[in-house]
Amino acid sequence: MIDWAYIIDALPALFRGLGTTIMVSVLAVAFSLLIGLAGCILRLSNIPMAGRIVAAYVEFVRGTPFLVQVFFIFYGLPDLGLTLSIFWSGVLALTIWASVFHIESFRAGFTSVGRNMSDASASLGLKSWQHGLFVIIPIALRSALPSTLNTVVGTIKNSAYLQAIGLAELTYVAIGKVASDFRTVEMFAAICLIYLVIVLGVSALGHALEKRLDEPYRQR
Amino acid sequence: MSLLFEYRVFLIAGFVQTLLMALVVALGGTTWGIILTAGIRSPWAWLRTLSNALMELFRDVPLMVTVLLAYFVLPMAGIGLDPFWSTCVAISAWGGANAAQIFRAGLISIGKAQRETAAAFGMTGLRGLILIVLPQAMPVIIPPYVGLLTALVQATSLGAVVGAGELLRSGQILIEQTTIMKGGSPAYVVYGTILVVYFVLCRLISMAGTQVEKSFLKPYARTPGRTEIVDKAQDVASTVPTSA
Repeated sequence: MIDWAYIIDALPALFRGLGTTIMVSVLAVAFSLLIGLAGCILRLSNIPMAGRIVAAYVEFVRGTPFLVQVFFIFYGLPDLGLTLSIFWSGVLALTIWASVFHIESFRAGFTSVGRNMSDASASLGLKSWQHGLFVIIPIALRSALPSTLNTVVGTIKNSAYLQAIGLAELTYVAIGKVASDFRTVEMFAAICLIYLVIVLGVSALGHALEKRLDEPYRQR
Repeated sequence: MSLLFEYRVFLIAGFVQTLLMALVVALGGTTWGIILTAGIRSPWAWLRTLSNALMELFRDVPLMVTVLLAYFVLPMAGIGLDPFWSTCVAISAWGGANAAQIFRAGLISIGKAQRETAAAFGMTGLRGLILIVLPQAMPVIIPPYVGLLTALVQATSLGAVVGAGELLRSGQILIEQTTIMKGGSPAYVVYGTILVVYFVLCRLISMAGTQVEKSFLKPYARTPGRTEIVDKAQDVASTVPTSA
């Protein structure tokens, strides 16, 4: 049946691929969170047209397949004068994809913060930027946390798409092994297991964070 | 642009394959979703465990891996499918797991009391489910389900990775051919056009979905229950992919 010795022999190569998966995902998660927050603030701002432009960006990215976005960035952008390496094309594609979902979940978080909060801040003498930074943002981000976590996990899963442009991440390494050694079942069992461990691990970490942040609000 | 016009028949053929594949995975995913939901709500513990495990598995493994797995591993189990059908199987398995998550959450949103009252009026089992529970669960199910449908349509582009001849694959072939013949690579035009085609297609589905949503929400207009239902639907929607 399954040749465990073969899987163990292949582990070093798989872990090197996993390293790339993690690196590309961590960078994309960091950038997309920043762009998500900035985009959300623009979306809700009074700057003319800014809200509309962000809304159109969100609609377009959500309405198109991630794989085509990846191909457009890697194969299409060089024609338009922007040549990126495979790795940075992947980071850019993942960042764009994840940022639109962050914008949406942050927006839901911000709109959940009540209006009377600003009256409370004003009566305490907080300036409007202090109110935004120390009151609104923490509360909004906390209520956006569950859907933000889904997007973070989605970013890790979507990094597997980057094998299609030849990024040597986990899936790419496994497919290469399948092509050379024909141990198909072993390789797929191994990478499915690795993805499961990562996805469930990150979800568990996220739930722990959620629980920790809920602590002050728990009814006693 | 003239290039796209020159190869229009070839590209339209790819687009037709995409539509066909979208139809197959929408039907396949929904059916698999209903089967999994029935398993998750079944009276037997082993079947509940198995259905839950399958749902988690297909939701947590990246779709790209599932598509490749179906293409490489199914033939070893004696199921030799061409790229089109192996992609359909993989996307349906993934879509069904997410559909089950939606259906389950929708059914849970309708309290036990409704089921019991229906049973008290003699509407047990499937009759109670279809006549009493489902119509009430629909406003919670429809919005995330429409989101999932657009994700399924987008997911068909993964067929290109294993060589199923859909729109994205047609685009790739077109780029390869013209690069060989003319030297220049029109990649951004071709991929840009494909992006727009998918965007319009998904937009149409969302617009149709909004209409269906409205008709199911009509009985709740101007009642306090309306916002509660909309919130619940949003909560469910945030746990399933709306893009792929």
